[in-house]
Amino acid sequence: MGLLTILKKMKQKEREMRLLMLGLDNAGKTTILKKFNGEDVSTISPTLGFNIKTLEHKGFKLNIWDVGGQKSLRSYWRNYFESTDGLVWVVDSADRLRLEDCRQELSALLLEERLAGATLLVFANKQDLPGALSKEQIQEALALDEIRSHHWCIIGCSAVTGNNLLAGVDWLLDDIAARIFTTD
Amino acid sequence: MDAKAECTQGIGVAGESGAFKIQERLQKRHQERAEEAERRKEAKESRSVAEEKGEYFSSTFDTERASIEELLSSCTGADRAVVTQTLEEATVKTLQLQKFLNDSMLFLTQYELRRAQDALQKLQTSSAEIREEALPKKKFAFRARSKATDKVSAPESDTPAASVSTKVAVAPAVSVQCGFSNMNNVCLTKTAEEIHKQDVLLTHLTNCKVRLFGSPSTLHMKHIDSCEILCGPVSSSVFIDHCRDSTLAIPCQQLRTHNTQDTRVYLHVTSRAIIEDCHGVSFAPFSWSYPTLKEDFIVSGLDQNRNNWSQVDDFHWLAAGTPSPNWTVIPEEDRKTNWEL
Repeated sequence: MGLLTILKKMKQKEREMRLLMLGLDNAGKTTILKKFNGEDVSTISPTLGFNIKTLEHKGFKLNIWDVGGQKSLRSYWRNYFESTDGLVWVVDSADRLRLEDCRQELSALLLEERLAGATLLVFANKQDLPGALSKEQIQEALALDEIRSHHWCIIGCSAVTGNNLLAGVDWLLDDIAARIFTTD
Repeated sequence: MDAKAECTQGIGVAGESGAFKIQERLQKRHQERAEEAERRKEAKESRSVAEEKGEYFSSTFDTERASIEELLSSCTGADRAVVTQTLEEATVKTLQLQKFLNDSMLFLTQYELRRAQDALQKLQTSSAEIREEALPKKKFAFRARSKATDKVSAPESDTPAASVSTKVAVAPAVSVQCGFSNMNNVCLTKTAEEIHKQDVLLTHLTNCKVRLFGSPSTLHMKHIDSCEILCGPVSSSVFIDHCRDSTLAIPCQQLRTHNTQDTRVYLHVTSRAIIEDCHGVSFAPFSWSYPTLKEDFIVSGLDQNRNNWSQVDDFHWLAAGTPSPNWTVIPEEDRKTNWEL
């Protein structure tokens, strides 16, 4: 067994991932995080700053960073880019008026060098609302098909009911794991 | 003399044979050493993996890169469908190459790594250029829908996106939702039956009086000027943007207020209210009432006994201890109590 093999094995053993959750304000980032962690979601306030949760899922240790999406906080997003393995972009599917804002913010993020290696998961949130756009409509509105720089996937979900959250995170983990922790 | 000579000779013979022995020994030792080295080398080779060699990496990488370049160059002048397919293939190959590079990262030297990354970058840029040239981006736009009813979404139109002409700005998709827009000097009402659990959108209203009975799922207000807007309990969040000189009364779970000036909010909020880019916003507890308000509170799931109306976070005033200058509490004597139309 060579030294390199040992190094690789060590890295596999840690199996730690850093996920960064971003999106416009009122998209439901904190609600997704809390719901995923099994906490009460009825008393969530707009995030002034950020939340971090560390949790175990599928044998991975996940560090999830949820950073507030208010306009005045967006300039601080870049402070959280470093060593991000996965980017979770949360969209309020019922907020038609700001979809263009949403597209612009996302495409600016994807140009960011420090996020270059990260896998992108788009949550088309609030599918439980009657006026929500479908995930296909969101996919078109955000021009996701034009993304070539990142692995991406869009999943329709509802943070309030918890529907599809697991499916999204599982896809993200599988994609990141395939990239970082390559089996020998 | 003889004896001496013999003696000398004897010494000579002894010396010669000694030297010979030494030489022999040295020879043997050298051979052993060589064999040992050979053995070690073999052992080392059997342990190291062929894939973990710099030359293996660079030759594989270069072959892959050349094949992608060839794919890309075949795109020029080709048919649109062919280009799409070829680009797709090239992208997949590039991604595989990226993965190969990532996997090999551990044993590459800095120089090799940098060189490979540059090459990949170049591939990506040129494929992006070709894409740009051959398949120009479609602009996104909402599709126009019939405005016959402003109540609920008409069934999805099946017009393919391609029919959207290239220069359409993002048209406000107002007609799809429950709500009012582009009105002046009118009184507007929606009943509980119309609103029931819908997302309500109010935009571009000036000098209007709006009454929304029932419990909406969300409420969005944008570009509101000199209006009085009263609403039943909103089960999730209320979003206000560009609102001025207005009076609002809303119960909700969260209130997010942006770019708003000189507006009074009579609020029932079960989590928190926030303001951002606002001036002269003032708050008081929700005081509007109508016969079925209690039922609507139950429908919305809001707790009627929990009201944090006076806990407002200003995202532009993060100094703890000093109150934000951008919002105030309406003094009790100035609060509106009569909400008749």
